[in-house]
Amino acid sequence: MKARKLLSVSMAAAAALLTMSATAMAEEEPVTIKVFSNNPDRTADQGLVEQTIFDAYMEEHPNVTIEVEALDDEAYKTKFKAYAAGSEMPDLVSVWGQPGFIDEVIDAGVLAELNPEDFADYGFLEGSLDGFSGDGKLYGLARNTDVIVVYYNAKMFEDNGWEVPATYEEFLTLADTINEAGFIPVAMDGGDKWPLYIYLYDLMNKKDGTDLMQKTLDAIASGDYSDLAFIEAADMLREAAERGVFQIGFETTDYGTAQNLFTNGQAAMYYMGSWDMSMATNMDIPDEIRENIRCFNLPVNGENADPLALTAWNGGGYSVTENSANKEAALDLLKYMFLPENWTRIAWENGVCMSAQDFSQFATGNETEVQKQLMDMVAEATAISGTSIGDLGTSEYKTVCEDTVQQLAIGSITTEEFWAGLSALAGK
Amino acid sequence: MQKAYSNKKIIFTLIAPGLLMFVFAILAPICLSVYYGFTDFSGLGAYQFIGFNNYKELFGDRNFWMSLRNSLLLAIGFICIQHPLAIITAALLDRMGKRAEGFFRTVYFLPNVISVAVIAYMWKFIYNPNFGLLNKMASALGFSGKTNWLGSGMAIWSVLIVLIWHGFGWGMLIYYTGIKNIDPVLYEAAAIDGADNKQTFLKITFPLMMPVIKINVTLAIISALKQMETVYLLTNGGPGNETQFLANYLYKQAFSSFRYGYGNSISVIFVIVCILATQVLNKIFPKEE
Repeated sequence: MKARKLLSVSMAAAAALLTMSATAMAEEEPVTIKVFSNNPDRTADQGLVEQTIFDAYMEEHPNVTIEVEALDDEAYKTKFKAYAAGSEMPDLVSVWGQPGFIDEVIDAGVLAELNPEDFADYGFLEGSLDGFSGDGKLYGLARNTDVIVVYYNAKMFEDNGWEVPATYEEFLTLADTINEAGFIPVAMDGGDKWPLYIYLYDLMNKKDGTDLMQKTLDAIASGDYSDLAFIEAADMLREAAERGVFQIGFETTDYGTAQNLFTNGQAAMYYMGSWDMSMATNMDIPDEIRENIRCFNLPVNGENADPLALTAWNGGGYSVTENSANKEAALDLLKYMFLPENWTRIAWENGVCMSAQDFSQFATGNETEVQKQLMDMVAEATAISGTSIGDLGTSEYKTVCEDTVQQLAIGSITTEEFWAGLSALAGK
Repeated sequence: MQKAYSNKKIIFTLIAPGLLMFVFAILAPICLSVYYGFTDFSGLGAYQFIGFNNYKELFGDRNFWMSLRNSLLLAIGFICIQHPLAIITAALLDRMGKRAEGFFRTVYFLPNVISVAVIAYMWKFIYNPNFGLLNKMASALGFSGKTNWLGSGMAIWSVLIVLIWHGFGWGMLIYYTGIKNIDPVLYEAAAIDGADNKQTFLKITFPLMMPVIKINVTLAIISALKQMETVYLLTNGGPGNETQFLANYLYKQAFSSFRYGYGNSISVIFVIVCILATQVLNKIFPKEE
């Protein structure tokens, strides 16, 4: 009896050992997670943050290999579509929480549903995940809080006795003064077109920011763009371009060239998103410019204008794909990436961007001046615009919006023709 | 051997690889293109048949007609500017000494071996109104003001110059090879008869080059209609759609607007235009030279 008992105990112990070793073996099973990213530069900016997190994850999980394929936005979107049409979709992908991109991707069942409960403690800012949801289900996590601002060279301003404008009129007058001094007032990436419709949306937001995103969505659906703030904003964009606020040839200047005009001192200001706060920590930029980069919120005055309204949105993010061969592993990586001490902390501490999570907890007081200014702007904001006009419709709407806003800015079409062109897409 | 060639199975086996290649790489994609041209497919998810709606829209699409006009304009530029220059340069090269001939042949062909991306960005910088070479040179010569070379109204001409310049080397090299294949005895005979350079070119070189000219012009027209990479990188059809070309517009509709069905309807028209252009050329150039 004693011997049988001993045998049973021994067998149970052996079974337990076997189970444990099997579990350990299973844990050690090599896994390759394929990541498709829109951050091709892995040594700077958001690409660096991504890579730092991936490297740390692989160190903590020796059985995991993360293979990254990265392309620029436009090439990325094209290949994303090709992947989605095929059967070998990468496991973790960059996405944009904007209807023009994400709606049809969700409809096609490409993205895996996420459990919001898993991220309840992650400190995502209110509303930041709305764009990544469809029919009440969550399909992705937002990476950034993007704010559009006017960067300026504080030393150039000081040397020339220029003041940061408080009104739109002052802004235009300042541009005239800068032109007379032989500099470019605002470096504008008009070749990529989307900064132009963001400028337009910025003006629309500042003119009358009440519920702008819903107003714009309604206008896209109905084709009725007769709102006075819309019409005035389009006139203001055209006037700014005509008056020489942007460099000559802004309509064919690409992102890098526009940024270079500012960072090599040819332009006094640069209109771009908060993700370019990393200029202040970019050692490739000459000291006298890098250390003097500041920013302000484009001022717009008027009867209903709100000077503290911000044109901001949660654009880029990540999703796990529905047909991923390593769905659980990819989900685990996504959870790891967005632990506040990972994406938010690394991005903030390196001055790369403001995440869509509560980044204020990582403020050290050692931030760059631009970071501090952006933090203040977000803290003081009375209204946030949400996704910009070109990203609120379909892909076709976005393309037409891009082309026509560029034509509007260079004076090829009138304000009426611009809105009529968008109006013709109603219901499409 | 004779028996083997009359065996149908052997004949079929021999032509099968080529036939399969033609069916899967050319015929099937064209058929699929025609098929998708009748749908509203976005590239993802379900789609519906919409009959001739894409074609109806296409014929009223200003940007499509502008793209086609620009492509044809480029074809005319190739035929009227690039090729006459190429054939004259090839004839001149042929008359040069060995060293100079080799040197200039390499120089003229050089743009063709440089990547399209490099070419496009180089010209983008040359044309840049704020720091570009052209405006700097104009300024050094005493001209004031900044010309916006890629701006509205000027962009199409600036793009055409780049494309004509970029393709010049190929055309020149084919003509040069054609000239080299002309029997030198004819030139010797012409020289004995007292023909000058002009007469030699017009009476010997030019007529004997007709087959090469035909091929080169056909290639030029197809290349003009297919033009995509340089334009995409230089202006991406902008400002607005002023420098839009047929192939770039097709790409934009299919992969930026994600109107895959509409893009396919453009590609069908594209194929038809190419076939028509080839037919017109066959009429212009006699079959028997």
